[in-house]
Amino acid sequence: MEKVNRSRDKQKGKKDTTAEVFSHSQITRLYSRFTSLDKGENGTLSREDFQRIPELAINPLGDRIINAFFPEGEDQVNFRGFMRTLAHFRPIEDNEKSKDQNGPEPLNSRSNKLHFAFRLYDLDKDDKISRDELLQVLRMMVGVNISDEQLGSIADRTIQEADQDGDSAISFAEFVKVGKLHFYLLNETAHPCFLHTLT
Amino acid sequence: KTGRASRLERKKQEKDKEEDESKEEDSCSQQNRASRKKNYQQKNSDGKKAGEEGSRQRERGKKAPTKDQKESENKEKKTNKKEKEGDDKQKTDRKNSTTTSSNSSDEESLSEEELAMLMEQVEQKKKLISTMRNKPWRMMKKLSVLREAQAFVEKFEGALGKGKGKKLYAYKMMMAKKWVKFKRDFDNFKTQCIPWEMKIKEVESHFGSSVASYFIFLRWMYGVNLVLFGLIFGLVIIPEILMGMPYGSMPRKTVPRAEQATAMDFSVLWDFEGYIKYSALFYGYYNNQRTIGWLKYRLPMAYFTVGISVFGYSLMVVIRSMARNANESTADGDDDNFIFSWKMFTSWDYLIGNPETADNKFASITTSFKESIVDEQESNKDENIHLRRFLRVLANVLIICCLCGSGYLIYFVVKRSQTFSKMQNVGWYERNEVEIVMSLLGMFCPPLFETIAALENYHPRIGLKWQLGRIFALFLGNLYTFLLALMDDVNEKLAEEDVVKNITHWTLLSHHNSSVGNGSTATPPPLDPADVPRGPCWETTVGIEIVRLTVSDILVTYITILVGDFIRACFVRFMNYCWCWDLEAGFPSYAEFDISGNVLGLIFNQGMIWMGSFYAPGLVGINVLRLLTSMYFQCWAVMSSNVPHARVFKASKSNNFYMGLLLLILFLSLLPVAYTIMSLPPSFDCGPFSGKKRMYEVIQETIELDFPLFVAKIFSYVANPGLIIPAILLMVSIAIKISERAVAKLYRQL
Repeated sequence: MEKVNRSRDKQKGKKDTTAEVFSHSQITRLYSRFTSLDKGENGTLSREDFQRIPELAINPLGDRIINAFFPEGEDQVNFRGFMRTLAHFRPIEDNEKSKDQNGPEPLNSRSNKLHFAFRLYDLDKDDKISRDELLQVLRMMVGVNISDEQLGSIADRTIQEADQDGDSAISFAEFVKVGKLHFYLLNETAHPCFLHTLT
Repeated sequence: KTGRASRLERKKQEKDKEEDESKEEDSCSQQNRASRKKNYQQKNSDGKKAGEEGSRQRERGKKAPTKDQKESENKEKKTNKKEKEGDDKQKTDRKNSTTTSSNSSDEESLSEEELAMLMEQVEQKKKLISTMRNKPWRMMKKLSVLREAQAFVEKFEGALGKGKGKKLYAYKMMMAKKWVKFKRDFDNFKTQCIPWEMKIKEVESHFGSSVASYFIFLRWMYGVNLVLFGLIFGLVIIPEILMGMPYGSMPRKTVPRAEQATAMDFSVLWDFEGYIKYSALFYGYYNNQRTIGWLKYRLPMAYFTVGISVFGYSLMVVIRSMARNANESTADGDDDNFIFSWKMFTSWDYLIGNPETADNKFASITTSFKESIVDEQESNKDENIHLRRFLRVLANVLIICCLCGSGYLIYFVVKRSQTFSKMQNVGWYERNEVEIVMSLLGMFCPPLFETIAALENYHPRIGLKWQLGRIFALFLGNLYTFLLALMDDVNEKLAEEDVVKNITHWTLLSHHNSSVGNGSTATPPPLDPADVPRGPCWETTVGIEIVRLTVSDILVTYITILVGDFIRACFVRFMNYCWCWDLEAGFPSYAEFDISGNVLGLIFNQGMIWMGSFYAPGLVGINVLRLLTSMYFQCWAVMSSNVPHARVFKASKSNNFYMGLLLLILFLSLLPVAYTIMSLPPSFDCGPFSGKKRMYEVIQETIELDFPLFVAKIFSYVANPGLIIPAILLMVSIAIKISERAVAKLYRQL
């Protein structure tokens, strides 16, 4: 209980938006999950700690999701970073949106969620998903069961479907437009599932 | 006094700090005031209770620090209203529970307002219980709050009834809760009872959705047949066996003297003659006694009604299934624009944690991509239109020739079998020629159709539909030709019957005379049932023919699977090492699961069952056994000897197509049965309708004898064509209106 108070106070002191997004008991719960994952007990998580979650280990995109937790070039993530990433997954609350138009957008807004997903696919962070990146994702999802040639056609076809400005890559705006992608990512089912996994 | 004062103070503090509804607070304080008043009164009246009161005060004193702690926690909480409400409710409830627990001894003297408060609290607790799942609390906390709330509700719900009604109310509440629990357990049980779910999932992840749809269809058929079997077995066969006359007591139930020598031979039994023919499995066994047994069970009426309701139930079940499929299939109509993006970005199931499941999921994602690739390829082809049309016309012409040829072949063979039956010393082949020819046609024509269909070059899904349609026409033609030939047979038998009727009559008469002629006045010994000359009993003959056809169909199917799939797979696998060419890549290679052939086989099998169940009640039992073994056998065969299709495509809306075929077959198999019931006279000496002019007369008889008089009059008015035709028109127009509305609704949804 004391540890919780201390970390809570730390966050309160820094006026972090993250702490405002989660409620008190949610933070408590996340912290207990954080400590259970942190086998080394040094207050930070490493990539190996995340790999211990079976659902992430099996997930073809598991490595990239884990990467999303770690800020640029670092190998350890502290509790604040942990919460920050997880804040993307909270269900969208429309009444929150209308509250604060001028301040920074809350982390679980529609567009921030889509950004998060977009960054999973866009490895070189050039704000475009190129054909090669799509090929990598496909390769991870189907293994070696489909020939390279067919995978290439699938990637081409996907770009053809989504691309609107003809640059043979999917930009963020085009990603957003892919119809039901909204639904899937923002739907209550995908998120609480994922959140449940991690917590 | 100090205790009371501090309590009052604390209450005021809490009122200020909490942003609760003031109502609750008032009710709490009111209650506390009331309880305090009572306790004060009791203190004065009953010295013993002073000790209790003191301990209660001490309890409240103990609760004080925890309450303080809670208040401070409250203060620090942020603005999540829901959270607060939940916690506050919990707090007030805990408070209430402590105060009301002190009231437990005062139950009898609860006033109106306290009752209302109590009810409100119970409602609050109930609401808390129902929304418990959504609260973002830790599990232990949820569990403890839940248990507390449940205990509170249980304790005080009973107290809400007034006076004598209290017990009834408590009882009602308890029954309502038990009912809800029972419903939930029953739902869980029902889900667990769905048989073969894992088997089918395994097949699905390896072979795709089309192959799995066949097995789902098989399972559904099994369910329908099980119900039909229950109906027939329970309402017709069991009563006759238990309450009717036993074997050997009547001519129709006894093997004739001439056949008795061979009646137990296996070959005879296999042909469904001998003892099997004269058993409850066939129409001829049943007695036409109007009521049997001490229950006065109306067997002929039951037989007739069950026969009709078999069709009625099947119709209802098929239409319900079609309606359900139609509703579901409109759901995925509009993600055509981003098929590949959708598949790429959203196919993974994030809940999978088991490696084996993950493998299955990989397999299904791969299959799904392959399906989409095939779809794409098909839609991108463009070719010479004229050549394609010419080839298609040519293919259709060839196939029509095949169909006519097979129809003629069957007619010829059935006619020949009739001449055979008149001969003596028929060999095994001559006896079974019809079944053999029909099975062979059913086995070799579909691949022939497929080869011819290669000329047409359709998309696989459309090609499958054409193939299904053609095989359907083949089976239908065969079946109806068979029936026509059978009808000739029946008419012959009817003519024969008149002759035999006379013979029987004279035989009995002469026997009677001869035994009386000995001069005794005693009743003559009855002629042994085995010696009475028998009529040809056409219904049993029809039943036997259909049963034999079904059994040979089953055997052919199983042997085809065994040889065509399993032996072939063994051969390819083991002979590949020492063979000239690569058996796995070239001919014969591993077999693919033939969906269309199997589905149609199943549908036609069912059609035959429907046709034959009126004349051979035991047929449905045989079918249930067949479906059960088929499930296991085919699952095993598919997993061990088949390979997934090279061209994989979605089953999508094929389900309704199968159901449509089934519906058509249902009508087509109803026709012969209806025709024979309406227009042919039943045999004079066998079956439950013997002695009547037409089978449906049993209804009239029942109405006249068993129902009060006015019912008969009503029926006689209703049976007037002048009334029936407008009723039919009305029903048709209602059906059209309903379907129009359904189409409009679907349209609006899109």
